[in-house]
Amino acid sequence: MRQGDKIALISLVAGFTVWSVGFVALYGLQALGCAYGWPTHRAVLILAYGILVAVLAVPAFWPLRSDGEASATLSVAALWANRAALGAGVLVFLPVTFTSTCV
Amino acid sequence: MTEPAVVSPVRLHKELDAIWRTPPGWGRLSSVNHTVLGKRFMVLALTFFAIGGLLSMLIRAQLATPESGFLEPALYNQIFTMHGVVMMFLFAIPMFEGFAIYMLPKMLGARDMAFPRLTAYGFWCYLFGGMILIAALLFGAAPNGGWFMYTPLSSRPYSPGINADVWLLGITFVEISAVTAAIEILVSILKLRAPGMSLTRMPIIAWYMLVTSGMMVLGFPPLILGSILLELERAFNLPFFDPTRGGDPLLWQHLFWLFGHPEVYIIFLPAAGALSTIIPVFAQRPILGYRAIIAAIVALGFLSFGLWVHHMFMVGIPHMALAFFSAASALVAIPTAVQIFAWIGTLASGRPRWDIPMLYVIGFFVVFVIGGMTGVMLAMVPFNTQAHDSYFVVAHLHYVLVGGFVFPMLAALYHWLPHITGRQSVYRLSVPAFWLIFIGFNMTFFLMHLTGLMGMPRRISSYPSNWGWDWLNLLSSVGGFVLTIGFAMVLADILMQLRFGERFGRDPWKAQTLEWATATPPPSYAFASIPHIESRADQIDPAALGSRLAGGEGYLGFARANRQETLAVDMVTGAVEHVVVLPRRTLLPLWTALATGAFFLCLLFRLYALAPLALLGTLGLFLLWPGSLGETADQGPLPIGRGQSAPLDAEASNNVTVLASRTALVTNATLYSSLLFGGLFLLVVAPNWSSAPETAVSWAMLLAGVGAAAVGGVAALVGDRNNSGGRAPGPALWMTVAAQIAAMVLLGATAFLLADPTQHARIAIVFAVLAYCALHAGIGAVLSGATLFRLARGHVSQNRGTAPRIVALWNGFAAATAVAGAALIAVLDTAGAVA
Repeated sequence: MRQGDKIALISLVAGFTVWSVGFVALYGLQALGCAYGWPTHRAVLILAYGILVAVLAVPAFWPLRSDGEASATLSVAALWANRAALGAGVLVFLPVTFTSTCV
Repeated sequence: MTEPAVVSPVRLHKELDAIWRTPPGWGRLSSVNHTVLGKRFMVLALTFFAIGGLLSMLIRAQLATPESGFLEPALYNQIFTMHGVVMMFLFAIPMFEGFAIYMLPKMLGARDMAFPRLTAYGFWCYLFGGMILIAALLFGAAPNGGWFMYTPLSSRPYSPGINADVWLLGITFVEISAVTAAIEILVSILKLRAPGMSLTRMPIIAWYMLVTSGMMVLGFPPLILGSILLELERAFNLPFFDPTRGGDPLLWQHLFWLFGHPEVYIIFLPAAGALSTIIPVFAQRPILGYRAIIAAIVALGFLSFGLWVHHMFMVGIPHMALAFFSAASALVAIPTAVQIFAWIGTLASGRPRWDIPMLYVIGFFVVFVIGGMTGVMLAMVPFNTQAHDSYFVVAHLHYVLVGGFVFPMLAALYHWLPHITGRQSVYRLSVPAFWLIFIGFNMTFFLMHLTGLMGMPRRISSYPSNWGWDWLNLLSSVGGFVLTIGFAMVLADILMQLRFGERFGRDPWKAQTLEWATATPPPSYAFASIPHIESRADQIDPAALGSRLAGGEGYLGFARANRQETLAVDMVTGAVEHVVVLPRRTLLPLWTALATGAFFLCLLFRLYALAPLALLGTLGLFLLWPGSLGETADQGPLPIGRGQSAPLDAEASNNVTVLASRTALVTNATLYSSLLFGGLFLLVVAPNWSSAPETAVSWAMLLAGVGAAAVGGVAALVGDRNNSGGRAPGPALWMTVAAQIAAMVLLGATAFLLADPTQHARIAIVFAVLAYCALHAGIGAVLSGATLFRLARGHVSQNRGTAPRIVALWNGFAAATAVAGAALIAVLDTAGAVA
């Protein structure tokens, strides 16, 4: 498989892979903070949220590749999927900023 | 080697059929052909659908009137549990598998799936596992704790019989077929396509199948792990879910719903793929938004894994976590809506013609959209709190599952049955059957929204007559029987089609996908020659292409060396990579499935002394599988037609076997990650850890075991590298065998010398992790030994390096699991317990 094709295929799932890892990480941090009574629990969660959104923004705004018909089409689908992942990250992880952490 | 001579289409058919066909009589048991097995899967799934439907009739008869004495509560519990189990595990998933197995090779331009014997093994496991469950029902020992088997109800003290064991072992047995099918479907889509069919030229249904199989690869392992842990608790008193000994029932719920919610989308996505294929045919235009649909189904696949806790909103999870899952649950409606708008747009911008499949498409739109709306309602925590465990949820799940799977399946049935039978529908019964199903379904389940809002809880076997539920339940029951009459008419319609339907030429619907380029019913080899695809594969002319392919104008338009040959391509571009030689018919899958079944039956009937024998028998039979495969000398590139040549799969570095091994390890890694998650979850969340007893781990022995596994992993990698570099792999493989045997013994001994694992979940988790690592080291040694055997027989060379590659992958994985396991044990052994 050519490098460009491999990148196109990976970028199709890149955004949502980061989203999934972020989901598990935030859920884990929320549980750990409650279990061990972290004094800076919300700050840690908001920091993680910020980092995740920043990482999700990278594939969402990565320039399209167009070396070959297949990778060009895949890249467009990947861009849309990655922007959806960014939107999903912003929305789904937003509750860390305002909901009660352990109640 | 020169290309075989061109022969007439009739002679080509006879020569290919002699190689590929399934013999009559007892020889049918040896079939590994995708057309035969796909049909068997679908017929068996429809049989289970009929059984599940019969059980639902009993439920509705019981609930038709208040204080009914038709069924005893204990029997009712078995019936509603088995209705869910049969419909989810024995109908919906296998129906998808059967459809994919039958249809995918024909849609992608291949002659079969990547691993025909695995298809057959999966079918037999499905049949035998399903028979265990149905036999248990007939003997009054069926599961009775709900299809989700919540602990502690399903734990030994509260379910002392074998009912729960039947679920745990029967379902795990059946799920072997789901996991093997998922791996096979994924590999087949990525590798076994017609040359020129890049990923973005695939018919859109292949994208749906690809995402679905990926979801199954990741979604089923948590369920399998949960079932193993619960069976270990029931059989050997290891307290993974017992809160009095450091376990937690919520661990079961997490593991179950980590599978259970993606399962809904695993059921829906293939059906949506069928809709995305059928709608353009009847709209007479290509699907709108091909790229947007790809993005939407990728999004749907991932988002569906972020919803599982919406089944657990009432268990006492903090508001922040509830908000994550609530938001994700609502959000998943968006990629679903993208598809629905694409379908509506396709119809609106096309020239729709109305036929029976379209009736069910419209039925789908109505029913599924209502189910989606109530799904968004239930995703909101305050509403969920009110409607939880009520008949509103029963109504919602049926609208989603029947709307999202059964209606599209019926559309697909009417669309593709002519392909299977070679005859067209008679139509006399089709339209009234649809209306009976549509009206009967809505009468049954729409009213359940109201019954639920009026407070009727799920799973009750009777109700008093003064709570206002009487007439709603009676009408639901009447609707249920109307629905059943509709399904009976569909069955009669199918039989009429088989008997009286008119025969037709290729492509009766004027569809533009490749499956209609085969003869109908399809021949055993599917394509006499394999096409070259030059445009999107849902915009071709199958009728014209089919006759050219039958004449041998495509690739591999000849019978060679009595071998079943098809082509593998580059995953993305579809460029030809190599010739895949598929194994021919054999009874090995049947014997292996029987041995596997014997293992599960030994566990079910507590014949623990015999279970290892059955397991060894299964392993031994699996080791026989590669015996007839492979070459003892390098062949070099072979002609494949159209003036091109390609090497055999045995001489290709990244062939389907290597890809399948990688995929299987991803499945395995998901199962192991779920186990590690379970340990950490219990450490952080479960009660009674402040007074947890010591594990008494022998760290010297454990570290020696991990070290041996690491040496085994490195040696296997060196063996593979040596082989591909032209050096002898033997010494490194012998080193792998020795190191992994040492690792198995050391890790097994560490587990054996632990404190009593029935005392506390901390010790039980450590025991499970060590047992897992020891087992993987042992299998690593066996695989290395088997590769040494193949090396000695001349099946391995510098160019034919599949076996050493697989050994390297497995042993590398085994080493990694040992290291990760030791890390978890260190955390559990040393971390302070949380109050």
